[in-house]
Amino acid sequence: MVDVEKLKKIARETISRDDVRCLIGWRQGSYGFRAAPHFVGKPEEADQLIFSPLCSHNLATYLTLAEKLPVPRGQEPDTRKVALLVKGCDSRAVVQQLVEQGIRRENVLVIGCPCRGVVDQKKVEAKYPDMGAAVTADWGEKTVIFNLPSGRVEAPREEVLAGKCMTCRYPNPLLADIEAGDAVAVWGSDEYTDVREMEAGDPRQRWLFWEEKFSSCIRCYSCRNVCPMCYCEDCILDRLNPGWVWRSANTSENTAFQLARAFHLAGRCIECGECERVCPVDIPLMKLNRKLTKEVREKFAFEPGTDPESKPLQASYRPDDKADFIL
Amino acid sequence: MNNKPKIGVYVCHCGINIAKTVDVDAVSEFASRLPNVKVVRNYAYMCSDPGQLLIRDDIDKEGLNRVVVASCSPRMHENTFRKTLAAVGLNPYYLEMANIREQCSWVHEDRDEATAKAKKLIYAAVAKARLLEPLYEKEVDVEPASLIIGAGIAGIQAALDIANAGFKVYLVEKTPSVGGRMSQLDKTFPTLDCSACILTPKMVDVANHPKIELLAYSQVEEIAGYVGNFDVKVRKKARFVDVHKCTGCGICAQECRLTGRIPSEFDMGMGKRAAIYLPFPQAVPAKYTVDPERCLFLTRGKCGKSPKCADACSAGAINFEQQDEIVEFKVGTVIVATGFDPFDPARKPEYGYSDYANVITGLELERLVSASGPTGGAVLLGEGENAVVPKDIAFIKCVGSRDKSVGNEYCSRVCCMYTAKLAHLVQEKVPGANVRIYYMDVRAFGKGFEEFYDRVRREGIRYIRGNPSEIFKRGDKLVVKVEDTLNAAPLEDEVDMVVLAVGLEPRKDAREIIDILRLSQSTDRFYLEAHPKLAPVDTATDGVFLAGCAQGPKDIPDTVAQAKGAASSALVLLSSGKVKIQAQISFVNENTCRGCAYCVEICPYGAIELVAVSRMGNPVQVARVNEALCKGCGACAAACFSGSIQQKSFMDRQILPQIAALGVMR
Amino acid sequence: MSAQFEPNIVAFLCNWCSYAGADLAGTSRTHYPPNLNVIRVMCSGRVNPLFVVNALQQGADGVLVSGCHPGDCHYMEGNFHARRRFTLLRELIEYVGVEPGRFNMSWVSASEGAKWKDVVGEVVVKAKEAGPFKQFRRDKINW
Repeated sequence: MVDVEKLKKIARETISRDDVRCLIGWRQGSYGFRAAPHFVGKPEEADQLIFSPLCSHNLATYLTLAEKLPVPRGQEPDTRKVALLVKGCDSRAVVQQLVEQGIRRENVLVIGCPCRGVVDQKKVEAKYPDMGAAVTADWGEKTVIFNLPSGRVEAPREEVLAGKCMTCRYPNPLLADIEAGDAVAVWGSDEYTDVREMEAGDPRQRWLFWEEKFSSCIRCYSCRNVCPMCYCEDCILDRLNPGWVWRSANTSENTAFQLARAFHLAGRCIECGECERVCPVDIPLMKLNRKLTKEVREKFAFEPGTDPESKPLQASYRPDDKADFIL
Repeated sequence: MNNKPKIGVYVCHCGINIAKTVDVDAVSEFASRLPNVKVVRNYAYMCSDPGQLLIRDDIDKEGLNRVVVASCSPRMHENTFRKTLAAVGLNPYYLEMANIREQCSWVHEDRDEATAKAKKLIYAAVAKARLLEPLYEKEVDVEPASLIIGAGIAGIQAALDIANAGFKVYLVEKTPSVGGRMSQLDKTFPTLDCSACILTPKMVDVANHPKIELLAYSQVEEIAGYVGNFDVKVRKKARFVDVHKCTGCGICAQECRLTGRIPSEFDMGMGKRAAIYLPFPQAVPAKYTVDPERCLFLTRGKCGKSPKCADACSAGAINFEQQDEIVEFKVGTVIVATGFDPFDPARKPEYGYSDYANVITGLELERLVSASGPTGGAVLLGEGENAVVPKDIAFIKCVGSRDKSVGNEYCSRVCCMYTAKLAHLVQEKVPGANVRIYYMDVRAFGKGFEEFYDRVRREGIRYIRGNPSEIFKRGDKLVVKVEDTLNAAPLEDEVDMVVLAVGLEPRKDAREIIDILRLSQSTDRFYLEAHPKLAPVDTATDGVFLAGCAQGPKDIPDTVAQAKGAASSALVLLSSGKVKIQAQISFVNENTCRGCAYCVEICPYGAIELVAVSRMGNPVQVARVNEALCKGCGACAAACFSGSIQQKSFMDRQILPQIAALGVMR
Repeated sequence: MSAQFEPNIVAFLCNWCSYAGADLAGTSRTHYPPNLNVIRVMCSGRVNPLFVVNALQQGADGVLVSGCHPGDCHYMEGNFHARRRFTLLRELIEYVGVEPGRFNMSWVSASEGAKWKDVVGEVVVKAKEAGPFKQFRRDKINW
């Protein structure tokens, strides 16, 4: 439970510190059921901060950018901290970035916001269509409350929350310098039913499913841009020499792109679901990434983003790793 | 290279080995049509002098800058052809080979199929050849000094060989004296040489050699660097005795309040010493040492009115203010000769080692029969007036070896022979002794070993085949419960003393050296050699060698041979003064590297580290490869998500066209 | 599949064990089908799992990665990393519908010439069963 006024106060105090460069949180969006990332540079700007079921964005994706800004000649790099509001899943991204040395611990100030789930915009917009005006929202007991222009409505959470939230095991941030609220009870458990359903099918059926999805990819790279774990200086899938993947948006290249990204996320994807949220052609990217998350958990007993001291999965091995398929 | 690739393709007939199955003319014709291929030749034996001459002439006259040889396996002749290129000034890494013999003409019967495959393999080789880059084997200097860790017979022998060749040796020994396990032995098999008599001259040599700096009672703390350039840090532990003043007279030990009260490690607990001690009479250096864990003054702050040792020492050598000293130096090579520990038979409780004083190990018996041992060489059990001479003595072999239940599946190699030796010595010293040896096998493989075993049996020592199941007390006798398998007869053999022929294990502190030097362990937990057959003294780390039982159980002749081998390997580096670094190593594009350190974590040789650089004004960390340590495996390159770290000769942009070439031709 | 289909298999062999084992199969004059073409690398740890995806795109019907037995890697650990990576890659590509049997991995030591022959035979049979790879071949355009 996060008290928004308390959160704003924390934000005001934090941005007033000498060692904090900026604070990133959410503010109300300008239309429909949306929030927007909000960059606070001055204490008064903190008044716009919200924390509601609309706060889908994983703001950790901004952290790796903060350290990349070119420094004008003659100036020193700005080493002040970036303060970041994180939900549970977002905090896993921060932890994983620390494990990979993508950010330095002293450069980030984590403000933890225990979360009771964020909405799936597509589900909500289907339920309450043609919503032009900006709608605020809040959490109920096991519901989500929307303040529509027509009045207050309350929807059962299964109907409006993102799929990832219904199986969430980490609603409370795993890393926080400041706690913005009390911890919430874990209500989700994850049997990876979506993945298991796909696994159980016939390989031919599976390919027909994925072929349709991959062919619709327009290579907008939104998934890559929003992903907190995609922050290579020069993505290997953009390179021309060697040209791993060509830029044509056809089935062959799209499949190679998607498989490459999924593989590069193995042991790193923290299941924030942002990729799927932003995909303009509705590719079920979580269904793809979660396959490897499940394998990593089952075969190697590893969950990325849970232990800042852990070694990256793809940089380690155990002598007793099982691989029965090897001839 | 700005020049376009001008490729020469050489198709070898290998007599009829290739030509009988692969249509070399069709293959040559195919190759000639490939882009960038300037010259194609086919010839009976490309590796022969005339064959190599073809290549050299073409490079000179046709201006070739890439060479593809389609012939046998590169594992056969890659080096041959590299030298061919180098001989006419073309960088030897501009060579690519297509294996159309071992993996084509010799394994496929159908001529059409074999020919088609040969064409494909050449197509892929040409695709790679276009993208080859010149590589250079760098050289680094080798510091003309060697570190040897451990001064048992292995370390001593290696030290003498290297020092006699004219190079400086730092010989570091953890205990107060050199000599190691061999100094604990009485006689050595099969010649029954007195161990101390053959060892002590070498111990003295090592102490006096002008090229050897002996650091006894010292421990290696840290080794950084790489082959030819190791930075070593050694801790010289405080003896609390000034070695320049100590004359080794021993009065301090006699006067010590704890004299005769502390079990002597050298005597395997069979004898006692004082808190200030010399491990054994022939110790080198012959300087006393205060045991910091037992000395009353050091542990309690006072020893009576004043420490008796200090009072007694006429040279004034005792100094309780002495501190450990750290010494640092640079060496080119390291030899690890840290030896072994005997298996602790308390781990086999059925043998009653912890329960009965008359059950002892082979090494403990060795101390009893030694003239310099606690009993002056007499085989006695008990102390003082209660001492008895055992008459019925049983030896049990393979204790802690060839035994899955204690985690040692290996054979310890020396026990059969040392058992025979000890049995012989006991028989000699105890008139009327009745000695039997319980065995599973008898391994007398070395020079003079079988003859010695024969002799021992002819002296009346009985060998009974059976592995005892337990030892228990009955009255004042020990009972060995065993089945005599050759007679199919269960026995309960009543004896006075049981000697357990314990095996050899890696030292309990072996892990420390592993961490310092990044060594590996074999499945038997001894240090891992680079190759079990062809590189038994090398390790995976260049410049670090193994000698003696640290690498695996062995007897003295084999230890000395291996020590000489390790010294010789070290001398190859030391005497040439320079060492060539692998050319096909990894390198990092520091502009695209994001410092995630996956490669750093993965590299088995610790060859990659993160360094701080500035990227557009921001301080960032990127990976950097230590060229001297990289062995060219490429595991880093496969892990790098951004493709920033690549392996020379096996870069992604060289491999992907090979894949394309093989895929395109269906 | 018709008897005429001959799969095109790309194999990555590590220099010290598998490539040597394949050479031994040759020296021993064993015979096996010609469908497999080898790309030599120094260690199975060098093989980027995305080479497999790339090979399928570029005309391979099957891919094999072969290295030293675990514990015997010439570079100590490369094959352990390969094992983990390819366990995941195999799960991923089969999940999107690539037929099982197209991608294979083996441990073949320098002395296992006979095993190499068996591995090649098995891999070719499996690729034949799976048929020509059509799913995301580069020359197929799905507009």
